Amino acid sequence: MKNGLLLFIGLFAALGFSWAGIVLGSNVQLGALAPFFDDGESQSFPQRLPGTAARGQLVYRDLNCASCHTQQVRRPDFGSDQARGWGDRQSVARDYIYQSWVQLGQSRTGPDLTNLRARKPTAPDAEDLMELLYTGQGGMPAYRFLFETRKVTGQVSEHALALTGRLKPASGAEVVPTARTEALVAYLLSLNTTYDYPEAKPAPVGGGDSK
Amino acid sequence: MTAPTQAATDEDTATEAAGRRPLLLLLGFGILWLLAAGVLAFASAIQLHTPDFFADCPVFTHGHAVALAESAWVYGWVGNAGLALAVWILVRLAGEPLRAGNVVVIGALAWNAGLFIGLVGIATGDATGLPMLELPRYALPLMLTAYGAVGVSGVLAWAGRRRSIMFASHWYAVAALFLFPWLFSAAQVMLLWVPVRGVLQAVADGWYAQGLWSLWLAPLALAGAYYVVPKITGRLIPSYEAASLGFWCLVFVGPWTGGRHLIGGPVPAWISSIAIVAAVTLLFHYLIVLINLRASFGGKSVALRFIGIGLAAYVLGGVVDAATSMRGVAALVQFTYFDGAQQQLALSGGISLMIYGTLYFAVPRLAGRAWASGSLIRGHLVLAVLGLVLLVVSLAGAGIVQGQALNDAAVAFPRIAERTRSWLMGATAAEGILLLGNLLLAANFVQTVACRRSAAKEAIAS
Repeated sequence: MKNGLLLFIGLFAALGFSWAGIVLGSNVQLGALAPFFDDGESQSFPQRLPGTAARGQLVYRDLNCASCHTQQVRRPDFGSDQARGWGDRQSVARDYIYQSWVQLGQSRTGPDLTNLRARKPTAPDAEDLMELLYTGQGGMPAYRFLFETRKVTGQVSEHALALTGRLKPASGAEVVPTARTEALVAYLLSLNTTYDYPEAKPAPVGGGDSK
Repeated sequence: MTAPTQAATDEDTATEAAGRRPLLLLLGFGILWLLAAGVLAFASAIQLHTPDFFADCPVFTHGHAVALAESAWVYGWVGNAGLALAVWILVRLAGEPLRAGNVVVIGALAWNAGLFIGLVGIATGDATGLPMLELPRYALPLMLTAYGAVGVSGVLAWAGRRRSIMFASHWYAVAALFLFPWLFSAAQVMLLWVPVRGVLQAVADGWYAQGLWSLWLAPLALAGAYYVVPKITGRLIPSYEAASLGFWCLVFVGPWTGGRHLIGGPVPAWISSIAIVAAVTLLFHYLIVLINLRASFGGKSVALRFIGIGLAAYVLGGVVDAATSMRGVAALVQFTYFDGAQQQLALSGGISLMIYGTLYFAVPRLAGRAWASGSLIRGHLVLAVLGLVLLVVSLAGAGIVQGQALNDAAVAFPRIAERTRSWLMGATAAEGILLLGNLLLAANFVQTVACRRSAAKEAIAS
């Protein structure tokens, strides 16, 4: 190769082609994806996050929770996503159209969170999540900085964690979640994509046994 | 044991003098960030088997430590050292002294200031959560401008070269130098300033991460390898006529492999299908590079050994990449530590080792002085290879155990953590070994550069 100009043109063509093909191509296909209006429920899906949950999503991003948790359910014959109760259908692009910062994640050091509120067989409630964040479990660290241990003034706060045993705070003290933690938990409890789209219906459990 | 510990006698040292200060500054910054990235990677490896390590410190949660380590490595280590070596090669091939050296110094300071701001941003909660682009957006315009300032010297060297002929190291260095700003600015606009909608963010980030690999990281490392290997062996590159095919294969096909992490994900299936085809096609590039640079195997010089082992890791990383992009394999290893094994094989293996080799060749010539210690270099080689093998084996083992357990819905997550624990401890030990090796590099570099200065002062005094 002797021609510098040719090298230049080639380099930019390579970059431009891949950008046009992957980024522009998928943008043409999905960029205008609209919510789906379900006549049966007279509602359109997906729904926008309520205010606190939207703030919680920023906390999720700040803490980089996505380094251990995914938010994407794969189709039933690909891994054990369905068997683990993470969702009955594959996640599709339409699920994410209202998320300002999509956190698909690339690692499942911890479980998938796509449908945390609808997790089977039992979904955690706010109290469970608070306790998990405070105490940790298995590979999940205990994020104490998300909580505040303070003196009880007057009545014990209704948000105080019901801790027992070793973790129980000294008498006259209580452990309460900070505002960020409240938002994070509200966000986690908003995670639910159990509605149907024309392109994504729940797969029958166990293959042939359809309802 | 000849080339790396001896100062240059073959080339004109006056040519080197102009590049000495700016390029050694960049290399110094690079080594500093390499150490920082090593400490952070070590800490985040500990957190995987001992989750409560630094968990109570909001600045160093696992998510932050991982993002910090990755950013410090990519933009700090390769962004400084890889770039310095690419400029050095372009200057040498031009046969003229480095021009715009002061601009390079300013660029180097600004780049590292921007990176520092970005890392502080990640630590305080502004990480973007996008693989390979974790730095918050307010740090990026400064870095982009600074990159331009450093790159000016490379452009001037390339444009002002004495002979119009271009070598393989030219192509790779020029490709890395020119394409990064486009890639970097396109990615930050699409992902951080005016984010695209929904899952398109994941698609665009996949394109960026893979583009960064095939249009910047790999070319920077290969520019050095293509320059140093024939220099040390004193022989022409075998099958050189195929080298340009290998180059164009990487540049044209590489960025298309961006969707391989999205297999089975909520994106159109054609994105991952193209990625699989591209990852397999890219094997052609790895084959050509292997044939071209095979003289680096069994070389006697330490620089050549670094490059030889780096080349082996680079090629193996490509093969593993193609294998794991297959849907059947991905069903086992997707979302597991195996991804980390592949990435470390390619980054700490392929890229780092080739850059070390080039660095050990370049610094004596740049500094006008032999390396302070030959045994520190050999120690670094042993530790780098030992750490790499241990790291890749442990992460791959952990990944397979984790993948099997994940696919069995009866195994709960705390059980998975228990099963992978001993493998992950191996990975921690490996990170420690790698860090130790890099400390030897840093000690040797400081000694070599600092001694040169005091020797020069003595010369002036006498």
